[in-house]
Amino acid sequence: MSYSITINGQAHQTDVDGDMPLLWFLRDTLELTGTKYGCGMGLCGACTVHLDGDAVQSCLVSVGEANGKKVTTIEGLSKDGSHPLQIAWLDNNVSQCGYCQPGQIMVAADLLKQNPEPSAEDIDTAMEGNLCRCGTYLRVRKAIADAAEQMKGGAK
Amino acid sequence: MNTQLKELNAITRRDFLKASGLSAGGLIIGVSLPMGVLGAADSADFEPSAFIHIAKNGDTTLFCGRCEMGQGISTALPAAVADELEADWTRVTVLQGDADKKYGPQDTGGSQSINKMLEPMRKAGAAGREMLVAAAAKAWSLPVADCYAKSHVVYNRKDGRKLPFGDLVELAGELPVPGEPVLKTRDQFRYIGQPLQRHDQDEMVVGKRIFGADKKVPGVKYAAIKHIPVLGGSVKPLDKSKAMAIAGVVDVVVIPRFENPYGTVGGVAVVADNTWTAQKALDALGVEFEAGENGSFNTTEYKQQLLRNVEAPAKVEFEKGSLDQAFKDAAKRHSATFETGFLSHSPIEPMAGLVWVQDDSCEIWASTQDPQGIQRTIGAYLERKPEDITVHVMAAGGAFGRKFKCDYIVEAAACSKAVGAPVQLTWSREEDTRTGYYHPCSAHRVEASLDADGNLTGWLHRAAFPTISSTFNPASVQPSADDLNAVSKHLYGVENMRVESGMARAHTRIGWLRSVYHIFYGFVINVFTDELAHEAGVDMAQFLRKMYDNNKDPEQQEQIKRSRGVLDKVVEMSGYGKNMPAGHGIGLAVHHSFASYAAMAAHVEVKGNDIKVHRVDCAIDCGLVLNPDIATAQMEGAVTMGLGFVLHPGISFANGAVVNSNYHDYPIPSVGEAPTKINVGFVGQQYRSTGIGEPGVPTTAPAVVNAIFAATGKRLRSMPIKLA
Repeated sequence: MSYSITINGQAHQTDVDGDMPLLWFLRDTLELTGTKYGCGMGLCGACTVHLDGDAVQSCLVSVGEANGKKVTTIEGLSKDGSHPLQIAWLDNNVSQCGYCQPGQIMVAADLLKQNPEPSAEDIDTAMEGNLCRCGTYLRVRKAIADAAEQMKGGAK
Repeated sequence: MNTQLKELNAITRRDFLKASGLSAGGLIIGVSLPMGVLGAADSADFEPSAFIHIAKNGDTTLFCGRCEMGQGISTALPAAVADELEADWTRVTVLQGDADKKYGPQDTGGSQSINKMLEPMRKAGAAGREMLVAAAAKAWSLPVADCYAKSHVVYNRKDGRKLPFGDLVELAGELPVPGEPVLKTRDQFRYIGQPLQRHDQDEMVVGKRIFGADKKVPGVKYAAIKHIPVLGGSVKPLDKSKAMAIAGVVDVVVIPRFENPYGTVGGVAVVADNTWTAQKALDALGVEFEAGENGSFNTTEYKQQLLRNVEAPAKVEFEKGSLDQAFKDAAKRHSATFETGFLSHSPIEPMAGLVWVQDDSCEIWASTQDPQGIQRTIGAYLERKPEDITVHVMAAGGAFGRKFKCDYIVEAAACSKAVGAPVQLTWSREEDTRTGYYHPCSAHRVEASLDADGNLTGWLHRAAFPTISSTFNPASVQPSADDLNAVSKHLYGVENMRVESGMARAHTRIGWLRSVYHIFYGFVINVFTDELAHEAGVDMAQFLRKMYDNNKDPEQQEQIKRSRGVLDKVVEMSGYGKNMPAGHGIGLAVHHSFASYAAMAAHVEVKGNDIKVHRVDCAIDCGLVLNPDIATAQMEGAVTMGLGFVLHPGISFANGAVVNSNYHDYPIPSVGEAPTKINVGFVGQQYRSTGIGEPGVPTTAPAVVNAIFAATGKRLRSMPIKLA
């Protein structure tokens, strides 16, 4: 069976096994490695992508389930790294090893879309499923708050 | 951050991937490293290194030989080189060096990169600057003294003429490398001490940073592995057909144990067209194992045994004064027993790497902390010379000591050799959790005496834990004198002391995890010190100051002064000693490790069994801070990791195998557990620079536990804590 998935605006046809998690289709088949493997059980959030606009953990979504849908990965969040979250991440020097950060940013982007003015508690609640072993959480919080502030100013 | 620096940081945001190949004809400045920084085995082979490349157009590439795993070393060291070189940081690209002795030691651990490499790297930069200045002087027929370098240009003091670095490349390349270049004085620093943005931040936020797990080459195959779960066990006979029947499977590879300390415990791998197929086929195989000699190992009984081993007198490894007399004369004696658990590194990027073994070459792309160790280990495994193994050092998605060992690279090499193709091996999270080199559990019996004035007069410390040495030498069955140094050389100046080693045979691989034995020594010593302060009727800061004052050992005066410095700073930052609301407390800890000094004060709230760490103040003395923003991030990380060590369940074993499997049963701290504030203060900047990666870890757990006591009056003596 053939599946059709639009990834970062580009249509892809594939005949891989429909049970294959989207994560491995992205990483191994399409070589879009910005989406990371961390746990394979939806526990760490490193593999987060947007599926028809909503943040999902791509280790838990199969290629079959993504059929006919639109996927955005970290590589497609903005054309040139100019999403306010990406800028805020740089301004706050958030990343240490950086491995979990694409997933953090993808969840944060979903949060700000749904809740443009999140409280500190809202941020912690939304980001609870994204683990960082380096311990960048204080900067993750600050970057999201900064980006929200930035977007508020820009969205007139 | 000031505006100028902000602009500089903005300009410097450059994509690693944009770094063009080095143009021919550039100036490569080779500078010998002093022999002192090299391991004895390496010194004979050492050749002049190449940290600096300046192209004819002035574009400058700085190579970092130390491995980047998030600690920021590939910014901090090259920035110091750029400073000495008088290079304009906006013209600099940083590249990670492959495994090569020309970079000196590359084994990135023990918080040694800055401690060992800063001076040689600064010298490399200064030598480069002197050669460029000498080249300009030659071009102008002037004495060198009439020329100086500033920001990628050499100026003529006499008439203001100038020559950019790029124009001097050819001439400078013909000059000898100065043996003893003159280093800058601190007032001349441009980048050292500034919060320069890391060179690798921007590619991370767009998903372009290539970690070991991300590397692709044409024709790559993917592998998944199941390890023998019990150390020394074996794989039962296997029917490969169930895996081979699955479309996309290339081969099933049985990998025997390779008893090199960095080798592999052995297991079964499946190589396939993609990782998911490999994982699926591996599950279909239904691999079974024989447990072998460690099959009855379990943590419950083992910890009980260690506790028994420290209750009775054990092997004396250090003694001074007369402890028996001190105990006899004591106004007060206090004793306690502590236990700490096994811990796993659990970086979010599991063990992963890409290996391509061919008849006449072996090329490796690895997340690693020890690329030359990979050369040696894979060399031994493939029976080839280490220098014939090419190792590209990839960004590590967290490492924390685990990626110092290269068992996963051995396994990828076994797969590549078997299938004759490049193989990317990515361990599952479960395999990562269950196939570690674990931080050891430990048991400690500590007893101390106080005189009538509350002075500490005697200290007995009996410790038992399986040692890291056991991974290299099975005959190591208890801590050595060196393993007990954190106690025998600590800074309390106790005149009567005995340090004893209890039996603790290892039944799993033991390894170093960020701050290593200091994790439990920092915990035990600081918690027990808080207890002693309480017994003496003073707070811990007062008690520590008294002990530091009492310590007259001339060899420890600088260490005492610096410990006192971080203590005073953290008391000032945190307001330690002030009244706190009911259920709240501030706990203190001070620890010296890896040539640096850390003090922490944790503000904790306890509600029932719920513990919330609101704020942690950290004072750190790592000498001159190269990059305060990166150093602050390291402390934030150390606090967060330390919180997990003390608040979350550790690794446990049953029937010889690890019981935990993934982040649900070996949880690591999440954002909700991170303190609202982590304040970092630097002291002791007049001293030479030392490491920052590890020294912040040991103080976190005891500061939290001492805060729980301050909040509740409840003494906890285990890590992870047991509240109920």
